[in-house]
Amino acid sequence: MGLRLKIYLVCLFLTLTSFCNATSEDVLIKSAERTIDVTSQLVKITHRLTLSNTGKSSVNSFNFHIESRAQQKLSYFKAQLADGKDSSGVLKAVSSTVKGVLTYKVTLSSSLEPGQTVKVLVGTVFTHNLVPHPAEITQKEKQLVQYRGSAYIFSPYKIASQTTKVLLSSSSVESYTKVKPSSQSDSTITYGPYENIAPLTEVDIVIHFENNAPFLSVANLLRHIEVSHWGNIAVEETLDVYHGGAKLKGSFSRFEYQREHSGVSSIKSFKTVLPELAADVYYRDEIGNISTSNLRQEDDGDVSLELRPRFPLFGGWKTHYVVGYNLPSFSNLFNSGDEFVLQMDLISHIFDHMVIDDALVRIILPEGASNIEIETPYAVTRLPDTLHFTYLDVKGRPVVEIAAKNLVENHIQPFKLRYTFSRIVMLQEPLLCVFAFFLLFLTFIIYARLDFSITKDEACDNRQRAAGIAENIRNHYLKRSTLFQAFETHVVKLKSSRDINAFQASAKNITSDLRAQTLDLPANLKSEHPQLNDRVTEIQKQDKAYRDFQSTHAQLVERLVGGKINKPQFVDAEAILIKKRDELVEKLNHLINTL
Amino acid sequence: MTVALLKSQILHMSIEKQETLLKLAILTVAAILSFSTRLFSVLRFESVIHEFDPYFNYRTTKYLAEEGFYKFHNWFDERAWYPLGRIIGGTIYPGLMLTSAVLYHVMNFLHISIDVRNVCVFLAPLFSSLTTIVTFFLTRELKGTGAGLVAASMIAIVPGYISRSVAGSYDNEGIAIFCMLLTYFFWIKSVKTGSLLWSALCALAYFYMVSSWGGYVFLINLIPLHVLTLILTGRFSHRVYVAYSAVYTLGTLLSMQVAFVGFQPVQSSEHMLAFGVFGLCQLHAFTDYVRSRLTTEQFDVLFRSVLMAAGSVALAAMGILTITGKIAPWTGRFYSLLDPSYAKNHIPIIASVSEHQPTSWSSFYFDLQLLVFLFPAGLYYCFAKLTDANIFIILYGVTSIYFAGVMVRLMLVLAPVMCILSGIAVSTALGSQMKYLDSPRQGSQSAAEKKPKKGEAVVPFRSEVAWTFTVLISLFLVSYTFHCTWVTSEAYSSPSIVLSARGHDGSRIIFDDFREAYYWLRMNTPEDSRVMSWWDYGYQISAMANRTIIVDNNTWNNTHISRVGQAMASTEDKAYEIMRELDVDYVLVIFGGLTGYSSDDINKFLWMVRIGGSTDRGKHIKENDYYTPSGEFRVDQEGSSTLLNCLMYKMSYYKFGSVYTEGGKPPGYDRVRNAEIGNKDFELDVLEEAYTTEHWLVRIYKVKKLPNRGV
Repeated sequence: MGLRLKIYLVCLFLTLTSFCNATSEDVLIKSAERTIDVTSQLVKITHRLTLSNTGKSSVNSFNFHIESRAQQKLSYFKAQLADGKDSSGVLKAVSSTVKGVLTYKVTLSSSLEPGQTVKVLVGTVFTHNLVPHPAEITQKEKQLVQYRGSAYIFSPYKIASQTTKVLLSSSSVESYTKVKPSSQSDSTITYGPYENIAPLTEVDIVIHFENNAPFLSVANLLRHIEVSHWGNIAVEETLDVYHGGAKLKGSFSRFEYQREHSGVSSIKSFKTVLPELAADVYYRDEIGNISTSNLRQEDDGDVSLELRPRFPLFGGWKTHYVVGYNLPSFSNLFNSGDEFVLQMDLISHIFDHMVIDDALVRIILPEGASNIEIETPYAVTRLPDTLHFTYLDVKGRPVVEIAAKNLVENHIQPFKLRYTFSRIVMLQEPLLCVFAFFLLFLTFIIYARLDFSITKDEACDNRQRAAGIAENIRNHYLKRSTLFQAFETHVVKLKSSRDINAFQASAKNITSDLRAQTLDLPANLKSEHPQLNDRVTEIQKQDKAYRDFQSTHAQLVERLVGGKINKPQFVDAEAILIKKRDELVEKLNHLINTL
Repeated sequence: MTVALLKSQILHMSIEKQETLLKLAILTVAAILSFSTRLFSVLRFESVIHEFDPYFNYRTTKYLAEEGFYKFHNWFDERAWYPLGRIIGGTIYPGLMLTSAVLYHVMNFLHISIDVRNVCVFLAPLFSSLTTIVTFFLTRELKGTGAGLVAASMIAIVPGYISRSVAGSYDNEGIAIFCMLLTYFFWIKSVKTGSLLWSALCALAYFYMVSSWGGYVFLINLIPLHVLTLILTGRFSHRVYVAYSAVYTLGTLLSMQVAFVGFQPVQSSEHMLAFGVFGLCQLHAFTDYVRSRLTTEQFDVLFRSVLMAAGSVALAAMGILTITGKIAPWTGRFYSLLDPSYAKNHIPIIASVSEHQPTSWSSFYFDLQLLVFLFPAGLYYCFAKLTDANIFIILYGVTSIYFAGVMVRLMLVLAPVMCILSGIAVSTALGSQMKYLDSPRQGSQSAAEKKPKKGEAVVPFRSEVAWTFTVLISLFLVSYTFHCTWVTSEAYSSPSIVLSARGHDGSRIIFDDFREAYYWLRMNTPEDSRVMSWWDYGYQISAMANRTIIVDNNTWNNTHISRVGQAMASTEDKAYEIMRELDVDYVLVIFGGLTGYSSDDINKFLWMVRIGGSTDRGKHIKENDYYTPSGEFRVDQEGSSTLLNCLMYKMSYYKFGSVYTEGGKPPGYDRVRNAEIGNKDFELDVLEEAYTTEHWLVRIYKVKKLPNRGV
């Protein structure tokens, strides 16, 4: 019982407070200037309001009503102080529907004391609010649209003085509702000034005028942002685009389109502005690359991409395409230790005065990212997180999905996505590769080295055994050759040092080493591999000859050192010896290498 | 220390290891080369499916990958051959689609994110790499490792094969050549060893081949022919008996599992040789057994009487079965193989396909170059050392060169055997000469290198001759490589879906009109609209535009195609009746008059007239009505009035009469036919222009609904 009472009390309190604010006859709008911009497919309305507190208590907030006919079409709402600079003057606004009227409650930055005034700018953007009339036109006809609205600002407060300016895309106006005083000059229609209009007064007006601006809308946008910690952010947008203007009636004549440039409301191409550092841009659809696009670096640094659909878009025609590009991660990904922040635009520019009916943004984080928190610039729907699998993934990459509806250019605002990612995890992918290749090679090695056959192939076995023996012999002579070389260095050294004793000691060492080396040959070598046996014998012969040469050479040098022969004699004798040795070496090399 | 002992210490390898390394290196390079040389079109254009049939294969593969095998097997495609539809599962060889779907699923299981299109685009190059390796093994069985390596390197770049296996050319032939050579390899292995293992593998490879290409018929005739030749030349042995009996029984049973083949292996005449040879094998084996048990006289009597009785019974049975229709009569395609003029005279739809035309001599050289001259040499070397395996390759060579002469597309079957035989020729010839290359060196020291050595060599200038020969062959091989690369890059690497031309300033102009039109259809027509076009574009429309079509490249129903031909060839009101009958919403024509694209519908128009007039309902359409009195096909003022008022003419030239195409020429000047069109100012009554592409290559018309009563 007590609980219910409490709830009643709370409700009562809430209604009372809201009542106070909603009615507040205390607020008077002294002057209001409204600009309705219908030059593009959007309806952009700016209100410059001067609020004044005529009551006795201070006012913290005021209400802004949206006409009921346009409620569904409202895409963007923004209120700010008229003299505020940039974002500092932006006022907090909360929307609610009161008695079927969409109302924004705008909180002022400082409360408005009795007698004071404040200037406020309220901007709204409506989509699909211009209705083509007639709904179907032929190729030659121009596109006419109707704007329906009210001559007065739909406000809960009394407005002392108000004027409305309607900016049109051209001066050709079929008709417009006249509410005195109203006038048209060139491409502007002015309503007002109207004095002392009571709250919530509406006078319907219809403006029927020519508007050939591109009525291009995106039915569905699927934006993929894939973050890689190896320095890249890949963005891919899949779009369903349609021309929402007057539908094409009858035939499309290419001849007239090319010769007479008819079809003024059709869309041949449009410009998409990509981030400054975008690279590797692609533009394609289900059936392949669309070859008609141009990439240009604008003066302000942005990359502008001129996209031409495969065919010109007439009213009611649609197309579907994919645009993708890479961004270096340093421009959008920031970190402190293992804490990362991804800061990017939630949606990006597609074309000027764009309309996106449905958007789905999927942000794919690296595998292993955790503690994901997202901070969006405006209210969106966050769908449940999913997993995405791609190259070298084991447990999948976390995906944050965000859905939003009815977006315009003003919604190009950055979101912040925080997550934790340990840098060690980055090593997982290369290690995975290394391991996979290691396994592959290992299997191959095992397969190649081991014999899995159940029968014995005698010839093959024999050949392998012979190869083994040959390898053995080779290794043996490799070792010997190092010893031989060592010996020769000593001989050369002897020539300069003339230290016979030292030489003889080391020579003795080497000789004993050489002697210690024995070549193990299988006993049945002669019978099993007669050819190999012959070669070994030959090698041994040459080897012996080489040893002989070495000892002769050593003796010769010793004699020189000992002064037993003079220099010229020695040089002659050595030359002959060296020549003999070169031949020997060549023969030995040949023999061993062709074992 | 000027000379070190054992210099090459680190890189030393035994001869065997060196050989393995060299072999592996050459094979790997050849395999990589065969993959990469097929990528010209991907690099120049994009990763896109080419031409016509590949689009159908791509579409079915996508369906298979997404829907699974059983759905694919039972797939009734209501989007083609409206209103008849087509049972896809039962009318295609599913091997290609299964291969790519399996690859796709395996890759994606390993989280290698690759889409179906890319699998399809790169499948043919991948299988060419495999073909290269199989060719090596096959040729090694025939001649040796050296010949195998040469053949492998040759097949890697032979244009005759590349023409059908570039990246994007996603067609049955792409994998069929691999299957065919694999079957041959296993067959040779089983004939050589007589082992059941190899025979079973051969049957499996044959099954794969059957499931992927209709050309398996060539294979199932070639193998029996080989066996028959072996029997006739007295080379029949238990090995051959085991091999063939196993391959035939297993292979036939397996091949009948493919829905499209069904009972053909036991019914149609194309398979009868295999069946007959199978019987003959059993008889021969039995005879051998009986002969070994009986005396010669007894055997002779028995042999003769049994032969007479069996022969007459068999003939009678054959006759009865053919008359009752149990054995399929000889089909048209088969006749056209044996007699090149058959198709032209009897079946216009077969004759209208350019790849069914007989091959010209120049295209032999263009597609094979050096191989044409090496082929006889290879045959000679095979004859010089006749073995069971060599007989097979001789038969393969001789039969395929005949078939390649009959039909351009069968060049594909010829190319591998050309490579194999040329590989044998080059390897044998070089082997006989190269051993003399450094003969002078061994005798004396290097000083005597230039001197002829009379004492030892029987032939004077042996080394010089060897050198000349080797250098010459190398030069030929180098020129072959250049030729192949040039042909691949110039002739076989255009996707034909995207056209490119050079502008006046040398810049590249891309004509992407086909995709423009198809995409327009896909995006801006009702989902269930029916599009009528000539059958060439059927597959492309159903794959890219995703709309229902009346006829497509699977030309199984002649009367239906003929009906479309009649509509195109009739006047507007006659055509309207046919289009109403076929429920057509849109009509698509290809028109090259503005750009000078010569293979447009006006140039194909005579085929439409011929095919349209070939059935009963199109009797009133006579080819002669479309010619001028002097027998010319003209679109200008002189042209026949029937032509100038038919639907195709009107659709192609609607509003063209006021377009200036070339400087100094009157408006409405057709740049393909080089004539000012004869019928300029006309309006369409039953059609309205729905879309025309940027360069007027594709024109789409909407069929108007019947006018409201009383309006």
